Amino acid sequence: MEPEIDLAAFKKIGMIQQKQKEYFAMRLRTVGGDLTAPQLKKISEIAEKYGKGEVHLSTRQGLEIHNVHHTNLEKARLELEPAGIYMGACGPRVRIVVACPGEATCRWGIIDTKILAAELDKKYFREDTPHKFKLSVTGCPHNCAKATENDIGVMGALLPRWIASFCNDCQLCVNICPTKAIERLEDKTAKTKKPGYILRKKKCINCSICTLSCPANSWVIAIKGYNLFIGGTMGKIPRLGTILKKLITSKEELHALIEKSLRYYQREGRKKERFGHMIDRIGWVKVKEELLHGKQG
Amino acid sequence: MENKVKKSIDLHGVACPMNFVKTKAALAGLAKEDLLEVILDEGEAILNVPRSVKEEGHQVIKVENLGSTFKVLIKKG
Repeated sequence: MEPEIDLAAFKKIGMIQQKQKEYFAMRLRTVGGDLTAPQLKKISEIAEKYGKGEVHLSTRQGLEIHNVHHTNLEKARLELEPAGIYMGACGPRVRIVVACPGEATCRWGIIDTKILAAELDKKYFREDTPHKFKLSVTGCPHNCAKATENDIGVMGALLPRWIASFCNDCQLCVNICPTKAIERLEDKTAKTKKPGYILRKKKCINCSICTLSCPANSWVIAIKGYNLFIGGTMGKIPRLGTILKKLITSKEELHALIEKSLRYYQREGRKKERFGHMIDRIGWVKVKEELLHGKQG
Repeated sequence: MENKVKKSIDLHGVACPMNFVKTKAALAGLAKEDLLEVILDEGEAILNVPRSVKEEGHQVIKVENLGSTFKVLIKKG
């Protein structure tokens, strides 16, 4: 028998009807895929009690308990809440925020992804949008959290600077820079005959490889901040995010640009149109101008 | 005066982390400031081994690109 329930309301809180119509998947809310051991135990307990004893890992670092009978959904939800486990989201709205571990534990990490992801989750989670809306925070240009595949993607970024006096001219940087942005120039004029290293800023992807690897600490961080990508999506019509602004040094500015981007999409996006496809419909030049210099918030 | 290369190892085809383990073992047999020459593969090897060597307190002093491998000179710290 088909249950008489408000499917849209259920979907909003991540209770998704399965093809076995009496059964639902309970999609839980995580931020950056973080859960405590006691929370995992509680989820395990609920999956055994109300599901089939199985837990599914979603592609967005979330957890789902499948095969929960519709008559048990509310009971399961209320038993999860005291452990700090809340329902997720499905449908046309802001989904759970994805993040890599970031500088807290990763050597390449440039920013604290967990704090930023939690801020974004707190501000925007479950807000209604024209179509699904996904945010990701990745610690550096290795892009493990796939910032460029999300509607909003924040990437930790830095600009390196070369300090001549420290350099031992080993040439490791030239050989490991992933985009060959570092060049070694022989000095033919100066008396010292010391070669110089220069950074081609247009080629530099703002990663931490040279600053971390340089044996003489000659490559140092000149600017540390965020690269902001917008309009990325996978799905039926994949599109990588477009860089809106590089090396944003102020977190306030980053938050303001994200806010503006989301509001713009909520205003202009059509039903079932992802942010990136809206950007392509309107045109990048116009969108960029609006977001960076436009008056509307 | 230039130090002479005390030991040379070819780690072409040796994957991470064994290439670093072998580099570390070779350095253990040397005296401070001695030079070790290591052949490392492109990709993961050249990205990871010199960085790990730095973390252990040694210094890479020359990297020569040989095509798909690199000749790396390390001074024991």
